[in-house]
Amino acid sequence: MTSRATRSQPSRAAVGRRGRVGAPAILLAPFLVLFTACTLIPIGYAAYLSLFTEKRSGLGFGGGRTLFTGLGNYTRALTDHAFLEGFWTTAQYCLLYIPIMIGTSLLLALLLDSTLARARRFFQLALFLPHAVPGIIAALIWMYLYTPGISPVVEVLNSLGTQVDLLGHPLPAVVNIAVWEWTGYNMVIFYAALQAVPREVLEAAVVDGAGPLRTAFSVKIPLIRASISMVGMFTVIGSLQLFTEPMILHGTSPGVVTTWTPNMYAYTAAFERGDYGLAAAASVLLAVVAATLSFVVTRLTRVRSDRRAEATT
Amino acid sequence: MPTTPFSSRRRRTRAAATLTAAAASMALLAACGSSADSAAPSEDGKPVTVTFWGWAKGTQEVVDAFNASHKDVQVKFEAIPSGNAGGYAKISNAVKAGNAPDVFNTEYGQLPDFVSKGAVQDITKLVSSELKAKYLPQSVELTTLGGATYGLPLDAAPQVFFYRKDLFEKAGITSPPKTWDEYRADAEKLKKADPNSRIGTFFPDDPGVFEAMSWQAGARWFSGADGSWKIDIKGAETQRVADYWQKMINDDLVRVEPSFSQQWTASLQKGGTAGYIGAAWGGGVLKSTVPDTSGKWAAAAVPTWDGQPASGMLGGSTFAVSKDSKKAKAAVEFASWATTTPEGIQARIASGTSSMFPAAPALVPVAKAAFKTDFYGGQDIYSVFVDAGKSIKQGWEWGPAMGATNGAVKDSFGKLSQGGTIQTALDAGQQATVAELKNRGLKVSE
Repeated sequence: MTSRATRSQPSRAAVGRRGRVGAPAILLAPFLVLFTACTLIPIGYAAYLSLFTEKRSGLGFGGGRTLFTGLGNYTRALTDHAFLEGFWTTAQYCLLYIPIMIGTSLLLALLLDSTLARARRFFQLALFLPHAVPGIIAALIWMYLYTPGISPVVEVLNSLGTQVDLLGHPLPAVVNIAVWEWTGYNMVIFYAALQAVPREVLEAAVVDGAGPLRTAFSVKIPLIRASISMVGMFTVIGSLQLFTEPMILHGTSPGVVTTWTPNMYAYTAAFERGDYGLAAAASVLLAVVAATLSFVVTRLTRVRSDRRAEATT
Repeated sequence: MPTTPFSSRRRRTRAAATLTAAAASMALLAACGSSADSAAPSEDGKPVTVTFWGWAKGTQEVVDAFNASHKDVQVKFEAIPSGNAGGYAKISNAVKAGNAPDVFNTEYGQLPDFVSKGAVQDITKLVSSELKAKYLPQSVELTTLGGATYGLPLDAAPQVFFYRKDLFEKAGITSPPKTWDEYRADAEKLKKADPNSRIGTFFPDDPGVFEAMSWQAGARWFSGADGSWKIDIKGAETQRVADYWQKMINDDLVRVEPSFSQQWTASLQKGGTAGYIGAAWGGGVLKSTVPDTSGKWAAAAVPTWDGQPASGMLGGSTFAVSKDSKKAKAAVEFASWATTTPEGIQARIASGTSSMFPAAPALVPVAKAAFKTDFYGGQDIYSVFVDAGKSIKQGWEWGPAMGATNGAVKDSFGKLSQGGTIQTALDAGQQATVAELKNRGLKVSE
């Protein structure tokens, strides 16, 4: 704002500045107020809570006192096997989920974009539909489909002679729900990116003799790489927040333990054990990991695209 | 702590004494009036409004009946999710945020945890010895912590074995098992008669059932004496129970399914599960879970190790007054009405499917008369409850961190179908409990 103000005529500066400050301020105010009230303050409070712990004495029935513990809660979280295991679960989840989800949605987007596609609008909508179902409902539907004794799917599999314990393997079960929910959504993003690929580039590829496959792999995919890495980043961060689906499955599949993901760990610490300090510390750590990860991913993709830009010039 | 989304079923109320008695105790309370500044009948003539959170079946009916018959105190009831389904979390948060209800329901097992977290008020001065004498001593024991009274018991929850008479007969079993050895033998007979039939279910999601069985076997997981906690989750008695159930699971004689899950229900409906080891309140739950099997069920004492009647407690609820409530006196008046008057019990049982066993023995006839027993082919299940109630072992204490204990055991039980063992779960429970207590600054002697 300052730099802009200096560029304007000195005589009109006062009026201009007020006008320029006033309108943005008014327009930004609702956002800033909500952002402060719903994001900054809670984050600050969580950071504050994470520095304290409650101590009692004797049998513990005589009331307690809150003590400053510095980084004590952080140490406890980081040395807790269950918390670290949650990150490991998330990593495994990412390794399984991201390739499947991105691969499938990319494939679907390419199919829709190809000249062969029929009824594009219908498929776009149909594939997107699962995303319109709230995550909690989706998890409930899948829970029903996984549960032996009531699930038609399990029944059919059993009658074919295969004994599958879908609930016994929580990781694939959760990945499956996520794939179902998110493939259509990301396909729409990829499809939109594909639509933006200049037609003349594609025509040039065809003129050069590239078949549909070659065009897809050598022209289309490289041109939408930015979208792919963006989706990848959002997915990784989203995976760190994994909570709703496993929480629902937890009710029917005890294999999904209460500390299955870092988010569930924080929830359990706060609401089952009443250890708000530990829960806050775990949440802050989770946020730091997510922030670091997105920073790294952004950096990596930018470096790559910069390099590519250099190479082409 | 007992678990599952349906632990709500564990609560019910009883009331025994009459209004007069309640009024008498109220007068007594007034006499030793504590900090509570809004005494039951408020001075300005306006009724005192008490907020109350609970989830037990029939609670709304109890509150309605109370409000209709009281002018000085009115109760504002808000139904919350059952304890383990989020109710306890909601209460803890509300206490922390300073907007807790005046009075709320909690199970016996969770009470020490709430007290230890500073969420519950000491109501010793508001509870006369006359009022206390109306409850089963075991219930009073569980609501007295460190010598102070922290809650009024609603129901006692002696263990009860529910079974399908028709399926048992088909397998050639003429009477319900009296000992755990017989239970196992019957399990084998049932499976032999029908390969898809099992005698019962091991609930991996509800450590409460296993705890009740350990309690029955004579274990004492927690004992607080001389200012220090002794944690003994792996004692010989518990070990015996663990070995027994581990063998039942390994030999595929029981199912391993979450309690009150759709899986469990489906299996009961199809007759694939012929028995259910629950508690008195389970009679009502079963009735509402599988109504089409009406008339085929019976209740019996839970099997024991030596054939002598013995029982632990599985669930059971109390009324606790929250720490910052200024209306403790009115809250206690409501709680004692709901737990010790015939009107309070009658309202709850008559609401439908509650089969809770009043913690005030004098009210058992009221509950019995109000419960429709056609589901059990007319069997007088309350007389089974009465005997079971008498056999509840005294001396069991709940630990001050059942959230941590149960969480660890439950997570470990969750791995039972993937090769986990009960033993590992007990190790995890012991370790987590000790760690949690030490972390809170409590004294622990292992």
